[in-house]
Amino acid sequence: MCDDCGCVSPGHHHVVDVNQSLLAANDALARKNREHIEELGAVAINLISSPGSGKTTLLEKTIERLAKEFRIGVIEGDIETERDADRIRAKGVPVVQLTTGGACHLDAALTHKGIHALEDQLGEKKLDLLFIENVGNLVCPATFYLGEHQRVVMISVPEGPDKPAKYPKAFISSQVFIISKTDLLPYFDFSPEAAIKDARQLNPRLMVMSLSATTGDGFDSWLAYLRSLCQ
Amino acid sequence: MHEISLVQGLLKQLALLAAEHGSKSVSKVRLEVGPHSGIVIDSFKFGFEVLAAEIDLTRHARLEIVIPPLRYKCCYCGHVRQTERLPETCSQCAKTLLVPDGGDGLILLQVEME
Ligand SMILES: Nc1nc2c(ncn2[C@@H]2O[C@H](COP(=O)(O)OP(=O)(O)O)[C@@H](O)[C@H]2O)c(=O)[nH]1
Ligand SMILES: [Mg+2]
Ligand SMILES: [Zn+2]
Repeated sequence: MCDDCGCVSPGHHHVVDVNQSLLAANDALARKNREHIEELGAVAINLISSPGSGKTTLLEKTIERLAKEFRIGVIEGDIETERDADRIRAKGVPVVQLTTGGACHLDAALTHKGIHALEDQLGEKKLDLLFIENVGNLVCPATFYLGEHQRVVMISVPEGPDKPAKYPKAFISSQVFIISKTDLLPYFDFSPEAAIKDARQLNPRLMVMSLSATTGDGFDSWLAYLRSLCQ
Repeated sequence: MHEISLVQGLLKQLALLAAEHGSKSVSKVRLEVGPHSGIVIDSFKFGFEVLAAEIDLTRHARLEIVIPPLRYKCCYCGHVRQTERLPETCSQCAKTLLVPDGGDGLILLQVEME
């Protein structure tokens, strides 16, 4: 019955050393996603921030600036509604809305569905950049690898500079840290230096950018970063 | 919040293990939760208590959580040090660039079943 101890008697006490990550199934599926994404020709970016930090707005402005240069696709993650996908669709790029129905993060399985739905829209067409807007949440999405090439964590000026210290996982696991809504700096007691210092302490390799989607300030380094990914 | 989905994944894995070993009841689950795993241990325990009680297999299961020590590695000399919190400087070369060394795992170590 049992290969380990060869016992057949019910009620036998088994001690099984498993030593397997609880995320093993997710991570295996994420690696498949990565293969899919690469077959599409794309570099994928997993965008993580609290609700309202400006993820969808950043994507809208990025599409406006880069749509002529690159083929862009978007996967939107939310707990409910198609609203963010509608905003992206209005910019004329292929987009899939994933709704988690309550879950506070995207996982590799749901993202897998999203990639297939996107492939259905694309037909034979390829992509250069695939943005995955995660569910608005600075905590939970950080645990789930989706198959992305790059992870971008964002906090907006009104949220306050203590977020890297309070939510370390997202900063430890990301390659890029964006401070958004810098047009609001005059109205908030937000020290970018303090936020950057805490973030770098957690992850010295983190690339840091500050920008405003409203004024376009700081967008050049963001766009340069995206261009470098597509080379 | 994501602790709940992780508990659900754990319960699925326990069901597979029990089937494999012909067991009807899980008595103990030992789990390693890294200090950088992003898991709130109380939420995980609470999720386990609630969800495990709904299933015959895990109704009497005890969850034991092992927390490995925090370790930081110096980016310059590679020295790894075990500490309570992020040190200001490397104890070997005094430089300040230190990164977490592992500690982000969420690992099912051992299961006891009858
Ligand atoms: N002042 C200012 N507001 C912004 C900026 N970017 C986004 N917003 C506003 O922030 C709110 C939330 O933006 P949204 O993109 O929906 O955030 P998401 O929930 O992270 O996708 C909206 O009212 C945006 O107009 C910015 O750079 N500056
Ligand atoms: Mg949004
Ligand atoms: Zn050192």
